[in-house]
Amino acid sequence: MSEKRSLRIVRDTPSAPDSPPDADERAAALSRDLIACARGDERAFESLYDAISGSVFGVTLRIVRDRAIAEEVAQEALVEVWRIAARYQPDKGSARSWILTIAHRRAVDRVRSEQAHSDRLLTHGRHFDASHEQPDDVVDVAYGRWEADRVRQGLDTLTARQKEALELTYFKGYTNKELAEALGIPLGTAKARIRDGLIKLRDSWEER
Amino acid sequence: MNADIDGEHSLLGSYAVGALDDLEFAAFERHLEQCESCRDEALELTDAVAALADAQAVAPPAALRSRVMQEVSRTAQVTPTLRHPTVSAVRRRRWPALVGAAASLLAVAGVGITYATHDAGPDVSALERSVVMLASAPDAHSMELAIGSSHLVMSEHMDEVAVMGHEAPMPADGMEYQLWFVMEDGTAVAGPTFMPDKSGDIMALSDADCAKITAFEVTVEPQGGSESPTGDMVASVVL
Repeated sequence: MSEKRSLRIVRDTPSAPDSPPDADERAAALSRDLIACARGDERAFESLYDAISGSVFGVTLRIVRDRAIAEEVAQEALVEVWRIAARYQPDKGSARSWILTIAHRRAVDRVRSEQAHSDRLLTHGRHFDASHEQPDDVVDVAYGRWEADRVRQGLDTLTARQKEALELTYFKGYTNKELAEALGIPLGTAKARIRDGLIKLRDSWEER
Repeated sequence: MNADIDGEHSLLGSYAVGALDDLEFAAFERHLEQCESCRDEALELTDAVAALADAQAVAPPAALRSRVMQEVSRTAQVTPTLRHPTVSAVRRRRWPALVGAAASLLAVAGVGITYATHDAGPDVSALERSVVMLASAPDAHSMELAIGSSHLVMSEHMDEVAVMGHEAPMPADGMEYQLWFVMEDGTAVAGPTFMPDKSGDIMALSDADCAKITAFEVTVEPQGGSESPTGDMVASVVL
């Protein structure tokens, strides 16, 4: 295992590059890996892990806000990806979004089930505790850095209310009904805010 | 028709960010199968959401990788034929949902329960659409129902009740499920009968005077349904 890992290319770009790091090629590779996973190919899963575990861990951490729980949730989500890989359908969406949806749902479910004990969902404050463990330098997070810049610029084109709607639904796990209730707005307005925000985000990238 | 499509279209953003509850989500995925414009937009918006997630990327601890790989090596995988909400939308699905519902219609004075006129004909998409609309009603209330992985959703505003789920066990030969509305005075009013399809999916929709219902029950009844419950109760939800 360690021998294999030392042969892996470590993509560690210190700053975000200006152009997408082969976005199409990356998407195609991830899709191929996921499809190979469905046939029981564990090596393909390793490659998939390296391409997406940074995003999976990042998004679960952002949602559950606890490093130990985020690790558990990320592990469950990634094993679930392996288990149900046969259900992925390339014509219905990208492999990336399929995997991240699984991770997102797991993280939100976890927060909801913990809500009985604490109001974590509503607590503001530090996102997570510092880890004492070494991060995995094999995992590809350079893409995330590039994406973070792109997302920041895209989010700048949204209104404060649209940003808030995305923050509360995607990162805090509110349903559209809960969003409407929390903000005291009609359900239709809540739905429109989420959708308009995402459309603006998408358009901001297409213009560039 | 346009109003309907607009109604569902408005759920696209919520779908992409995962802000639909389970029932809305499953219903919306089924809608995506029917609606090309929604499907196209869904692809774009889910990619935008994936970018939001990527922007959060944090390298996990190295130990996670070995734990995941270890777990993977001993985890059995599903085969492609097993169904799942995200897969089901691709195949055309049919619910023998409300066959026999009319036969079991009970005239209960003052209760005012009638059935939607769907049958197992080709108009399944209309049933799906109605269920999506119900599930996205402002006061829609979703409850777990212990038949496989199922939900019951009701809206007083729309005065409708839907049952939807998957992995429902097949009742014995000649039997089917029947939903009952337990009213304030304790009487059980006959609701629609329904059967799982080959993949174990169930879906049924009924008008109901929701304000007067105190509980839902599901029993197994002879085909065509009964006028009052005779079979074993397989699930119940008390409001």
